[in-house]
Amino acid sequence: MKRKQFIKNAALTAAGSMVMPYILPTGRLFAASGTRRAGHVVVCLFAGGVRNTESMGKADGNLMRNTLNGTESISADIAPGVTQLPMLASTPLQNEATLFKEFRYAEGPTGHYNAHAAAMTGVYSDQSIQLKQPPPFPTIFEYYRKHNSPTNNALNAWWVSNSLGPYPFLNYSSYEGYGAAYGANMIQPDAFFSQANSLGNPVSFAQSEKAKCDMMRDFANGQFKVPQQAISSGIVNSPADAERLQTFLNRTMTDIRNGVFPQNPWGVTPYMTGDMKNIYLGIEVLKEFKPELTVINMTDIDIGHFDYTKYVNAIGIADYAMYKLWQAIKADDVLKNDTVLIVVPEHGRNELPNSVVDAYGRKALDHNNDAKSREIFCLLAGTGIKHNTVIGLDNQNNGIGQSIDLVPTIANILGFDTDIPGGLLNGRVLNEAYS
Amino acid sequence: MTTTNKTASLPAKTVILLAAFFLLAASACNKDQRVTYEVQTKELYQSAAQKQTLKTTIQFVSIAYSDLYNSSITSDQLNKLDLAYQAMGDKKIIEDMIIKNFLNQASSIIPTNTIMRNDVAAFVQNTYLRFYNRKPNEFEAWKMKDMIEKNTDITPKMVYYTLMTSNEYRYY
Repeated sequence: MKRKQFIKNAALTAAGSMVMPYILPTGRLFAASGTRRAGHVVVCLFAGGVRNTESMGKADGNLMRNTLNGTESISADIAPGVTQLPMLASTPLQNEATLFKEFRYAEGPTGHYNAHAAAMTGVYSDQSIQLKQPPPFPTIFEYYRKHNSPTNNALNAWWVSNSLGPYPFLNYSSYEGYGAAYGANMIQPDAFFSQANSLGNPVSFAQSEKAKCDMMRDFANGQFKVPQQAISSGIVNSPADAERLQTFLNRTMTDIRNGVFPQNPWGVTPYMTGDMKNIYLGIEVLKEFKPELTVINMTDIDIGHFDYTKYVNAIGIADYAMYKLWQAIKADDVLKNDTVLIVVPEHGRNELPNSVVDAYGRKALDHNNDAKSREIFCLLAGTGIKHNTVIGLDNQNNGIGQSIDLVPTIANILGFDTDIPGGLLNGRVLNEAYS
Repeated sequence: MTTTNKTASLPAKTVILLAAFFLLAASACNKDQRVTYEVQTKELYQSAAQKQTLKTTIQFVSIAYSDLYNSSITSDQLNKLDLAYQAMGDKKIIEDMIIKNFLNQASSIIPTNTIMRNDVAAFVQNTYLRFYNRKPNEFEAWKMKDMIEKNTDITPKMVYYTLMTSNEYRYY
């Protein structure tokens, strides 16, 4: 070999050895360039429209006893309508958390879907947002899967929704370059697992039989030219992940069908509400897959349109369910010292009530874009988060932190915020929360 | 005169109203009312290339049910499965689960292994007609027959599962 050729080959080899580590198994060229503050983020959308007057302001007592310090009792006139759940926390969560008491959902209609979309895309939406269609801007799941570490498979990103309707569409966007390929696994557990009688008795094939089925299907698929870009809409797990997911789903379905799965696993009186069930089944997802990014919501609080006392009750139940989630994180060997929990309502409720009076004489509350309906709170707890820190208004009496800051903050915690292309996000990282 | 007519017509109206009431009540209680969601009339395709349109969820589920049970799915069952479909992000997984559950029901109409092995070529032909609504081309007929004959552990249920979870089955 000539000297010139040798030097050329050596240079190419050296360059290759530097570049190759960044060609990841997922096919991405580069790993996320930032430093992770934690390996997991769980976002609990304390949703359904929670007014700060009742949550942080404790206007009818401390409804969030597992979260907030204080022993203020429930207002006597509505106390008979409020479920007395046992206290879970030995000390309220705010003592090991940073609490933004004057957070804001600053722009856009104070509608549940708009505000969910703002929290999950980092972009305020306007009236033109389409229901039952993916949002127009990338979701946090897509940023995570496109710009994060080599382990960014769909099982690492979960959207656990308490409702159907438009909400299942929040697991990926229609934004060019992102979309379903980077979306999260989505499940609405209550609707899904309620079909245990229809879906809890599948035929099962041995591995060798599966292989034969795959062989025949590969042949059949080879004979058919798919006329559209994708065979079905929605996210697609890799075959191995799909099998793992289906095993989990089948096992849970079968347990429900056979009565192994408890109807009231938390033993609460009188029964598990929708929010409780959603958190409970979301915890099952966390335990099974240890996802790096999970968003789970609650929505029962929206009863506030029709019954104030039930709204107050639902806030207490949501607080209980959220703390169960926190306990599950703390009890998990993988998650307990490597997770940040973020708790935030999607929007608030109006200053003035509507005309619907409940059994206790209280008037209900809508949410129609007034200033009060934009006032919410945000709590961060877990790895690398300051303890016992409360952040209120700034010097000009403005709230600190807003909904569109959640996406940059999650990206920062998981170490890929600087990899997100400029111009997509207007929020900031909530650095005040970091220790 | 007018009074007489009114008096005479009242019982008739009452009878009609009562009949309507009982008919409505009877149909309201009939939860297992059968509904059919057909993509189109059963005309055989000449080739797979004629299938250009993705089945909707409702079409996919109801056709799969009809193909396996030779009867129409009830609206109640269909609504339940549609709910589960909406509740799962990975649609391939939920489709797979639906098919696997359909296949495991005792009432699904699946030939025995003996019948399949007695005349594999006829089985392949009938299976393509049943699920793809077309005859297999010569290559498909030969290749499927060959795979089944060479792999003695392949069962009719496996073949059905394979075709019902293939790409072509998602289209019409």
